[in-house]
Amino acid sequence: MSFEPVLLRNVGRPEARKVEGYRENGGYRGLEKALEMEPDAVIELVKDSGLRGRGGAGFPAGLKWSFIPKAVDKPKYLVCNADESEPGTFKDRVLMEEDPQQLIEGCAICCYAVGASACYIYIRGEYVEPADILEEAIRDAYEAGILGDNVMGKGFKLDMYVHRGAGAYICGEETGLLESLEGKRGQPRIKPPFPAVVGAFGCPTVINNVETLCNVPHILERGALWFKSIGTDERNTGPKLYCVSGHVENPGVYEFPIGVTMTQLIEACGGMWRGRQLKAFIPGGASAAILPADKADVPLDFDQLAKAGSMLGSAAVIVMDDETDLVRSVYRLAKFFNHESCGQCTPCREGTNWAELVMKKIVSGHGKPGDEELILRICRNMGGTTLCALADAAVGPLRSLVQNFPDEVAGWLDGGGPATEPRRYFAEEVTA
Amino acid sequence: MPIVTIDGREVDVEVGTNLIEAAKQVGVQIPHYCYHPRLSVVGQCRMCLVKIDGPPKLQTACTTQIMKDGMVVHVDIPEVQEAQQGVMEFLLINHPLDCPICDQAGECGLQDYSFKHGQAFSRFVFEEKRTYPGRERIPLGPSVMLNMNRCIQCTRCIRFTEEISGTGELGFFQRGARTEIGVFPGKELDNPLSANVVDICPVGALTSSEFRFAERVWYLDKKPSICTGCDAGCNVTVEHKRGAIRRYKPRVNPEVNDYWLCDYGRQTFRRYSEFERLGTPAVRGAAGELRATNWEAALDRVHQGLARASEGADLAFLGSGFLTTEEAFLIARLADAADSEHRSVWSEEGPARFIPNLHGGVHGTETTPNRRGAELAGLLGTSGINAEDLMRGDGASRCDFLLITDGDPGSPLHDAEVIGRLRQVRFLVVLGWASTPLTEVADVVLPIATHAEKDGTFVNSQRRLQRFRAAFPAPAGVRSGVEALVDLLGRLGPEWQGLTTAQVFDRMAATVPAFAGMTFDSLPAHGTLLDTSGAVASGDSTEPEGAHP
Repeated sequence: MSFEPVLLRNVGRPEARKVEGYRENGGYRGLEKALEMEPDAVIELVKDSGLRGRGGAGFPAGLKWSFIPKAVDKPKYLVCNADESEPGTFKDRVLMEEDPQQLIEGCAICCYAVGASACYIYIRGEYVEPADILEEAIRDAYEAGILGDNVMGKGFKLDMYVHRGAGAYICGEETGLLESLEGKRGQPRIKPPFPAVVGAFGCPTVINNVETLCNVPHILERGALWFKSIGTDERNTGPKLYCVSGHVENPGVYEFPIGVTMTQLIEACGGMWRGRQLKAFIPGGASAAILPADKADVPLDFDQLAKAGSMLGSAAVIVMDDETDLVRSVYRLAKFFNHESCGQCTPCREGTNWAELVMKKIVSGHGKPGDEELILRICRNMGGTTLCALADAAVGPLRSLVQNFPDEVAGWLDGGGPATEPRRYFAEEVTA
Repeated sequence: MPIVTIDGREVDVEVGTNLIEAAKQVGVQIPHYCYHPRLSVVGQCRMCLVKIDGPPKLQTACTTQIMKDGMVVHVDIPEVQEAQQGVMEFLLINHPLDCPICDQAGECGLQDYSFKHGQAFSRFVFEEKRTYPGRERIPLGPSVMLNMNRCIQCTRCIRFTEEISGTGELGFFQRGARTEIGVFPGKELDNPLSANVVDICPVGALTSSEFRFAERVWYLDKKPSICTGCDAGCNVTVEHKRGAIRRYKPRVNPEVNDYWLCDYGRQTFRRYSEFERLGTPAVRGAAGELRATNWEAALDRVHQGLARASEGADLAFLGSGFLTTEEAFLIARLADAADSEHRSVWSEEGPARFIPNLHGGVHGTETTPNRRGAELAGLLGTSGINAEDLMRGDGASRCDFLLITDGDPGSPLHDAEVIGRLRQVRFLVVLGWASTPLTEVADVVLPIATHAEKDGTFVNSQRRLQRFRAAFPAPAGVRSGVEALVDLLGRLGPEWQGLTTAQVFDRMAATVPAFAGMTFDSLPAHGTLLDTSGAVASGDSTEPEGAHP
């Protein structure tokens, strides 16, 4: 399956980090076009394109922008969520490193559409290099008159800042991010009020993922019809980056029309690693339910995956071969969520901790029949009862392990062990 | 106003009322830990999840404000009960089972809700409980002890220091299951309101350094009363065991102290054990020694002293700000009988105290609770020898008879110099509850009840009249001031014989304009603001009123 890259078209063109190089490849035509339009028309266009948020929740981007109140006597902000921390996700990093001007252009269009005069790019602290590249690109954009008091000579004022996070998964949750941006302890807020009304510093705020904003210039340039022509249906449109990791020959970021299947992705990645068999895959980052191999032909889009009992999330596809022990894998994920729970809500604070302990008990050989029900019970008490979605995220892999792979768990109970003991490959195979 | 239906019962509430408060109005208790009516709403404990018709998921009642008609809420349904059970289970898995040695036992939110919403078995068997080694006994400040193992991370204490005391000493540290509360580096939980965090802590994580291990709470008798630490007039609950007060707790009065009580006020009951208690009346004998006698003989001696008024002698009456309004009224009637203008009330300027409430707050500026009430009742002489003359001038030497109400430990009346001046009077009658340097030099000592042992009213710095009743009876041999004074007045005329405090108040209401139309038994629970525009009360005009400092 071949696809002319849209979002990744400047990969391998280091000159595109500069405004000049970016323009050579058609850059900033979208912004130019937007500035000729009424702001509301820009919002309508993005709405019409069917672009859905690429951060995980898949909320329609244009609709989100339209929630920003028009008649308020407060500054409005765009916050770009570049706190890419969902395990398995590394697409935003590529976008920021390889094509920072594309992100700046997307941000500028969004700011123009909603009437924001400042944009904060909240980037995770560990992304030192992308942050440096972005800052350099922003400097260049200021010099080229793309940013500043008079954007492209059209009298629109826009300032852009890179804000580095300090390393917490929860700061990728949009209201946790806002708290952190304001200099507070990063923990999610009660909603409502939603950020569109009370966001950063108490002002109306749009929060969009990096990839979402990177799609925007292309929608402006090529139109909603073109955008809608890509993808599975009118609810799942546009190009999508898939972060493939795990047991494939060539892991990496791949761009496809949204709705490619697992089978197609594996093929694009050069097949399964060392010709092994697919056992399971996580389609949308650590928060998504793990799917068995027989779901490999489900289109990886928002709605089809939801129907299959999982989610597209950040499209972090983790491929697991037939020698992977899912119980140990899920234990590792449970550990992650316990480590990253902010601790405000009782079910998440205590539930993620308990879940890790139960998984630890099982993988240390002390599991007992009945532990499956215990896990499901913890999941039920955690899911849907908290302020933000972190507890629901923690439930994803846990519940799917018990429900989709009952034999894997059963094998560990009563002094058992992994269903398949991994072969010792590194020493002999690598040298061979 | 919007109408909401809670478990089938309709209630009409103010716009913006949250569901917990609305449910209270129809008698439905929605369990909660992090919610407190005076603190910001954070929706963290998730105990108040309820089912609202419409949204698919359960919603927290604390964060749900009722804005318009038609909301239908279900609390007593299996779905909600299961959620409550789930949260309780989460809270309990890591909570130590140390109730037998925990001060909170008996008034613990976890105990109460476990009983009501919990389950009788544990699925948390193999796993080790989370503990915070070395954080079991951390003094956060002079009044508050932290046991982190018991904390359920509700953040009420943190929000109290941020929003009520405004001092912000406390914060959350760490993250997730390792989250703990603590004071910021270099800080100490030391502010005038710090002990309130103990009251609002729903569990035994924060306990009172003073009360710790003093008593199991189920042995305490709890009676409503008023703090005598200053003239703010904070409403308290006196908690005592057979007449020995163990602690004061704030009693809610939104007009005065709201939910709070200051650290100083909480400790003022200790004055009752600092001095030796007077148990029996005493009179000075022929050889100059004080000897115990009975009430009849003691009051006869006072009566003899009073009777000399008719011989043209000067009689003075010095009340105190610790008197109830009724006692002060009776002393004023004694002064009337003696035809004396030498009447006054002593009180002292004290450290400025402040308790915030929804209207700003209430200030305390004096060391006694009722100077205003005593003056309104008739102890403010317009001319004549007053407190200042007696205590710091030569007033006593110009008197033949002085009846004085003693103060508490630390009272200015106990200065050697003041006593020297007062002793210049020919005949000194002292009413008090404790054996003090002043009672040592009196001619007649009348042992009267402490405020916890009598009924009465106080008028606070807002000019709010508040009633209180005896929390427990006075010891044998001790009478309330009203009993003693009524007995004394009865010797002068029949109309005072056998009156109770309530009857004295009602008589006062008939003669003192500020109390016109009131009766003791019908005073409102939150007190009543006096209209003192035409009345005589000194020194009030310059006092700060209401504003937050």
